[in-house]
Amino acid sequence: MLSVQRYTIRFHIIHMKKYINLTFNTLFFIISLLAINTTAAAAKVSIHKNEMSGLLTWTSEDEGFSIELIQLLPDFIRAIYGKHDFPDEEIERAASYCMFGTILKNTSNQQLSYRVANWRYRTKDGKEHPVKTKSEWLEEWKKVGILFSWTLLPDEGEFSVGDWQQGFTTINLPRESEFDLVYKWELDGVQYSGVLNNIRCAPESLTGI
Amino acid sequence: MMQFKKLFIIVLLIATAPVNADWQQPELSHNLTPVKNITPASDFELSDMDDVKIKLSDYRGKVVLLNFWATWCPPCIREMPSMERLHQQVNAEDFKVIAINQMEDADQVFAFTGQLEIDPTFDILFDSTSKVSQDYAVRGLPTTYLIDKQGNIRYRAVGGRVFDHPKVIEIINGLIKE
Repeated sequence: MLSVQRYTIRFHIIHMKKYINLTFNTLFFIISLLAINTTAAAAKVSIHKNEMSGLLTWTSEDEGFSIELIQLLPDFIRAIYGKHDFPDEEIERAASYCMFGTILKNTSNQQLSYRVANWRYRTKDGKEHPVKTKSEWLEEWKKVGILFSWTLLPDEGEFSVGDWQQGFTTINLPRESEFDLVYKWELDGVQYSGVLNNIRCAPESLTGI
Repeated sequence: MMQFKKLFIIVLLIATAPVNADWQQPELSHNLTPVKNITPASDFELSDMDDVKIKLSDYRGKVVLLNFWATWCPPCIREMPSMERLHQQVNAEDFKVIAINQMEDADQVFAFTGQLEIDPTFDILFDSTSKVSQDYAVRGLPTTYLIDKQGNIRYRAVGGRVFDHPKVIEIINGLIKE
């Protein structure tokens, strides 16, 4: 009788464990789904307007990666490349692009990497276009004898804890165009992506704001 | 005409600088990353502000903070005073700061350093073709390496830093004691 009772108790315990395990697994699954949703929605996007100029800055931080896009005036681009003795036509060609000062930061405590070649900008017609890389610019500049290789956002980066990088991102769109930037990064071997919606190219000059 | 163009560019840069001041937002940390695969730092010979040739190997036996920078790079400007304070704090017999400018000339750098809150007394060298930065696989500015007394790259930092932070000084002192 005692052994039957023991068996019954064991039976209940085993089934309770199974039930608890099942419940725990289900809960874990639901929590994971929620967590994934939260991650996708957790990107903190803020838009800052420079009081003096009216120029806009978009900042997003998610999964250990922070990206900041700062509108740049064509005159600023002209000044930068003029200082480095670029030919006039190359200065104008660069200034004709929609350029953003871009700051990328590793805000995690892991190794982070990015490749601009994986990034896209989405125009209002829904089409995605590759973001022109620094290498593509350098190839074009080399053909006209320009050896200056700085200011543009490096094609790729390997960031350790605390590392960050900045440079110009170039989008081939006219002044004041709007687009979404789809960007990707990798954190400890896992790839993530984010979108900055409704980014606007800078106007020709401050009077346009 | 050329003079006028240069003057125009300078005026343009000054005029557009405040509106692009948002570039200076990120806080500077003091993290230096230990290099996993310790490799010898590539030797080079570059000219300083007085056109004196300096080799990295001249400083073998000292710990060297090797910084790649340019005057147009906002975080480079921000971290430079902390490099000077570091240079003044750590014994010169054991430690050296070298800042390698990218593709600018002595006149540009001289005009720039005159505007800094502390005048740099460490070596500023000129990498006019960016050859040295390529040898060190520098992708963006600023990038900094910490080289030990045997001439090996031991730490790396991509992006601006506060170099006179006690943690950085502790790392440097550790390398000096090795």
